[in-house]
Amino acid sequence: MTSTADLALTTRGLRKSYGKRLALDGLDLSVPSGVVYGFLGPNGAGKTTTMRLLTGLLHPDSGSIELLGRPFKRGDRKRLFSVGALVESPSFYPYLSGRQNLSALAATGAPVPDGRLDELLELVGLRERRKDKVSGYSLGMKQRLGIAGALLSDPKLLLLDEPANGLDPAGIVAMRETLRRLAAAGKTVFVSSHLLAEVRVLADVVGIITAGRLVREGTLDSLLQDQGLVRARVPRAQVAVARRLLERVAKTDGDSTTEGDSWLAVHVEPNRAGEINRLLAEAGIYASALESGTDLEMLFLELTGGGAPSSEGTFGVAGASVAPGPDSQGPAA
Amino acid sequence: MRIFLAGLRKLLKRPASIVSVGLLVGLLGLIIIASATVGQSADDPEDGFAARALVTFPGAYDFVLSFLFGLGGLVAVIYGAAVAGSEWSWGTLKNAVARGESRARYMLGTFGAIVVMIGVGLVLSFVLGVGLALLGATIAGVSTAGLSDSDTLARLPAMAARGWFSVVEQASLGFAIATLARSQLAGIGAGIASYFGEGFAAIFLPDIVIHALRGGPGGRRHRWRPWRRWARRRGRRCPLR
Repeated sequence: MTSTADLALTTRGLRKSYGKRLALDGLDLSVPSGVVYGFLGPNGAGKTTTMRLLTGLLHPDSGSIELLGRPFKRGDRKRLFSVGALVESPSFYPYLSGRQNLSALAATGAPVPDGRLDELLELVGLRERRKDKVSGYSLGMKQRLGIAGALLSDPKLLLLDEPANGLDPAGIVAMRETLRRLAAAGKTVFVSSHLLAEVRVLADVVGIITAGRLVREGTLDSLLQDQGLVRARVPRAQVAVARRLLERVAKTDGDSTTEGDSWLAVHVEPNRAGEINRLLAEAGIYASALESGTDLEMLFLELTGGGAPSSEGTFGVAGASVAPGPDSQGPAA
Repeated sequence: MRIFLAGLRKLLKRPASIVSVGLLVGLLGLIIIASATVGQSADDPEDGFAARALVTFPGAYDFVLSFLFGLGGLVAVIYGAAVAGSEWSWGTLKNAVARGESRARYMLGTFGAIVVMIGVGLVLSFVLGVGLALLGATIAGVSTAGLSDSDTLARLPAMAARGWFSVVEQASLGFAIATLARSQLAGIGAGIASYFGEGFAAIFLPDIVIHALRGGPGGRRHRWRPWRRWARRRGRRCPLR
C-alpha cells in the first residue's frame, strides 16, 4: 500500500453530474508519485470529466481532490502551477505559429523560464516547423505541440488525455520514450486512454473506470496475474482430444480454424506454456505453434461489461466467441 | 500584464484585425473616390457642391471620423464577439485555465488588448481616411487649405476619444455576449441585432411611446394606466396632451 505522502494525485468520493446524468459516482483514485498511470475506460465512462475536474475546468458536486499532497479546492488555481495538462484535443490559435502559440500559452499560469520554448519544441520534434502556422499542422503535430504546452512549466504532475491520438507509429514511440523519461526523472504522468496496447507498454499502474466508478486499480502485473493465456496451434483432427486434455489443466476456449489447424486458448499463466506443450506432446499431439501472454483487453472487457465501442475494433474481436489473441510476447515454441 | 501583452501580440497577427481595418478603409475610400468623381463631373451644381463637401477640409475630418465611428461600431461588435467566442471554440481559454490562470483575469486581459487594438485600428483608419480624402480633394479639384484648420485640429483629439469610447462600448457588448453564451455566433448575432436595434429604437421608440400614452393618433385617453392613476392622485394632467 502506498502511503499518502507518496501519492501525487488522489481523489476521494468524487461525484459530478450533468443534470440528471451522473458522470462520476464516487471516484477514488490513488496515483503514486513517479509512475506512469494509465487511466482506462470505455467511452462515456467519465475519463474526460475526471480530467476536467483535475484541471479546474469543472468543479465536483462532492468529494475531494489532492494534487501533489495538498488539497485542490475551487479557486485554488495556483495548485495547478505544478501541473501540466493536455485535456481533450490540443487547442491552439490556427493563425499563429507553433512557437507563437507556446509563447501565448506561456503568458498564462506559472512563469516560464527563457529558452524553455525552444527546448520543448526540440523535445517534441517540432523545431523545424516552429515558424509554420498551426493551421498547417497535422493532428499528430498538434498533439506534440499540446504535449510541449503541457510541459511548459516543468510540472511535477502531467495529466494527458489520449496523448497518442493522431500520432504515427514513430511519434507514438517517441512520445512513449519521452513520458517514460519524465517518469524516470521523478515526475508523475497520468495518461487517460482507451488504447489498451499503448497503456500496456507505457503504464506502471493502471486504473480502470466504468460508469463513473473505479473498478480496478493497481500495478499491471498484479492486475494481470489472473489474466494469462496460452494458445496452442494443433492439427484439426486432434482438436477434440487436445481440448479434453487441456481442460484438465484450465478453462479452454473454443477453437479457430486456420488452414487445417486450430487454435486452442488455455487460461493459465503465460509461464506455463512449456507445461502445455509437454502435455500435448505426451499425448502425441504436436503443437505447430504456441503463444503466451497476458490479456489486458480481457480484463478490461470483464470489468467494464464488454460493451466498449472502439474505432480500433479490437474490443469486438475480444468479445467474440473465438478466443482472443493475447498481447503477444512472441511464439513460445 | 503578461496576458494583456500576449493578447496584443495575438490580435496584431489575427487576420480579423487586418480585415476590419481594411473593410473600414476600403468602404471609406470607395465613398470618397465616388464623391470626388461626382464632385468633379456633376452637371447639377448643387449635386457637385454636396459631393465636394465630403472631400473639402476641414469638413472632411468630420466626415471621416463620423464614418469610422458609425460603421466602426458595427465592425467592433463583430470583432469583440469573434475574439471572445474563439477563445471558447478553439479551446484556448481551457488551456489557460488548466495552467492555473484565472478565467476573469484572462478575459479582462484579452478585452484590454481589444480596447487598445480598436484605438490603433481607428487611428490607422483615420490616417488612411485623411489620405484618401486628400486624394479625393485632388480628384475633385478642391483646395486643401482647410487641412491645417487650427480650430478643427484642436477639437480632433476630444472627438476621437469620444468616438473611440463609443466603439469600445459596442465591442464590449459583442465580447460580453460571446463570453456569456460561449459562442462566437451568438455574440456576433446578438451584437449586430443590438447595433441595429439601437438605431431603430432611437428613431421609432419616442413616437411609439407617445402613441401608446395618447391612445393612438389624436387619442384623448391615456392607455397607460399607471400614469393615469398617478396623475389622478396628484390632480395633474399628462404633459404629452
